[in-house]
Amino acid sequence: MSAGGSRITLRFDWVGLVFACLLTLLIALPLIVVGTWAFTEIWRYPSVIPQQFGLRFWGQTLARPDVWDALFLSLRLTTTVTFLSAVICLPAAYAFARLRFPGRNILFLSFLASHAFPKFGLLVAIAGIFLQLGLISTFWGVVLIQLVGTLMLMIWIPVAAFQNVDRRMEEAARDAGAAPLRVFWSITLPQAAPTISAALLLTFVGTFYETEGAWLIGAPGIRSMPVLMISFINNQIVVQYGAVLSVMLWVPSFIALMFARRVIGTGAFARGFGA
Amino acid sequence: MSADTALAAPRRHQPIDRGSSIGLLLVALPVLLLAWLIVYPIFSAVVGTIFVRGPDGATDLTFASYRFFFTDGYSLANLWMTLWTTAVCGTLLLAIGFPIALYLRFSQGRLAAYVQALAIFPMFVPSIILAYALIRTVGPNGTVDLLLNAVGLPKLRTPYLTPWGPVIGLVWDNLPLTVLMLTAGLSSVSNSAVEAARDVGARPLRVFVSIILPRMGNSMLVTASFAVLGIFSAFTLPYVLGPASPEMMGPFMQRTFADMNDPLDAMTQAVITFGFCLVFGIFYIRSIARNREARP
Repeated sequence: MSAGGSRITLRFDWVGLVFACLLTLLIALPLIVVGTWAFTEIWRYPSVIPQQFGLRFWGQTLARPDVWDALFLSLRLTTTVTFLSAVICLPAAYAFARLRFPGRNILFLSFLASHAFPKFGLLVAIAGIFLQLGLISTFWGVVLIQLVGTLMLMIWIPVAAFQNVDRRMEEAARDAGAAPLRVFWSITLPQAAPTISAALLLTFVGTFYETEGAWLIGAPGIRSMPVLMISFINNQIVVQYGAVLSVMLWVPSFIALMFARRVIGTGAFARGFGA
Repeated sequence: MSADTALAAPRRHQPIDRGSSIGLLLVALPVLLLAWLIVYPIFSAVVGTIFVRGPDGATDLTFASYRFFFTDGYSLANLWMTLWTTAVCGTLLLAIGFPIALYLRFSQGRLAAYVQALAIFPMFVPSIILAYALIRTVGPNGTVDLLLNAVGLPKLRTPYLTPWGPVIGLVWDNLPLTVLMLTAGLSSVSNSAVEAARDVGARPLRVFVSIILPRMGNSMLVTASFAVLGIFSAFTLPYVLGPASPEMMGPFMQRTFADMNDPLDAMTQAVITFGFCLVFGIFYIRSIARNREARP
């Protein structure tokens, strides 16, 4: 990133300052507003800052049984999906990275190609099949539809992880007489583990907030956290409920995602999408 | 750390036939899932909307549901609204994303890192939380109204529940990937080419038009395709922020499927959505396939 040369670096970065100010306003403002609402008790129209701050609505939100039901349901869904996704995808990722078999390229490409269809149209097509199978408004119906959404990420990030393992260490262990499974367990897995755990984390957080499949397949029986948020927004009940939920749910996931980004690196996201 | 190097040569001393059957076995489950839940539904939607089972139980070849869609004023209004939103969002994304990507490519330092962090930030904000935040910010009596009122300016008409509501939300949501993909594309423009042009006295605009743009064609088209695929059938943001009528294809399909209880028409709408996105989908697949071949 240093094509600017000396002519540019001597000047003050005015362009950067303009971008920084504009983006701060456009990106950060909506989030700051939600954060403020979550800790507000009274905020009437013409005042720029709330008349009264407080935690009253945290108590009220946390006292609602539907919030707890949705939270536990979401955690159950997300854990199940992430676990199944790992069990199904990680061995496949290892095979794509290390083994040679017929159709390897085309099969690997087909996972990336699944993003070439408009997602909600695909969900409606799947819903048509689930309707015949009686999976609409069931826990496992939502699990299946969310599982499909995790396939790509859960394959291509671990593929890269297995690829980056130092082959010489594996060869050395083999030469010293270790069995293939032992080499995998003691050499390959520990080296690939940080990236794989980042993929797991991304899958977990992404699934937790998955709204469209849960809304289309789950309604009306399965009310996960994002679905509950939609009904809070639609019914326009107390403003603060939505704000409290947003802050409560978003902060932990944000920390988790920052951690994942550190491991994976931002560029990998773009490259995975074909840039 | 990229999947591009993905399919390098496997270890030499592995017996090929053993590896091949184990490999196929290991990838079988996700491939079957892909076939069952992506490939089969697409075919089933296309076939199921053309060969419709009549009330007498016989299956007939008919285009009635498509004829209905393309003669029904409300359906067409929804389709038109979706095309409009997609075009506006795509244009805005490129118009906003390109300057940011160019800036990030040619600068360094703390300010550039801050700009990059902010541009990527929306990736970590789930769309449902974004929808809620935008209602509180640009909705009626929201923060923008408060701030305008405080400095004595008149109220603006709120974009909430108008076609501009989804546009704002979708641009916000898709900005990170646009910037990332354009930055990745810009990294293929070599520093030496830019410096050579500058040394012979080319102005920045000339460098942009003659050196950078010709090398960016492919990556701009991929970025645009990806944005179009995401925006055309977006659901959450148009559903929460957009007008009730006409609505975008996403909420329209959901309402037809769930509220009107009409899976046949919903599938027809889905197939029409596939049709409109086909060009972009093919372009996207071709581009990732070519990228994979080009790299070692």
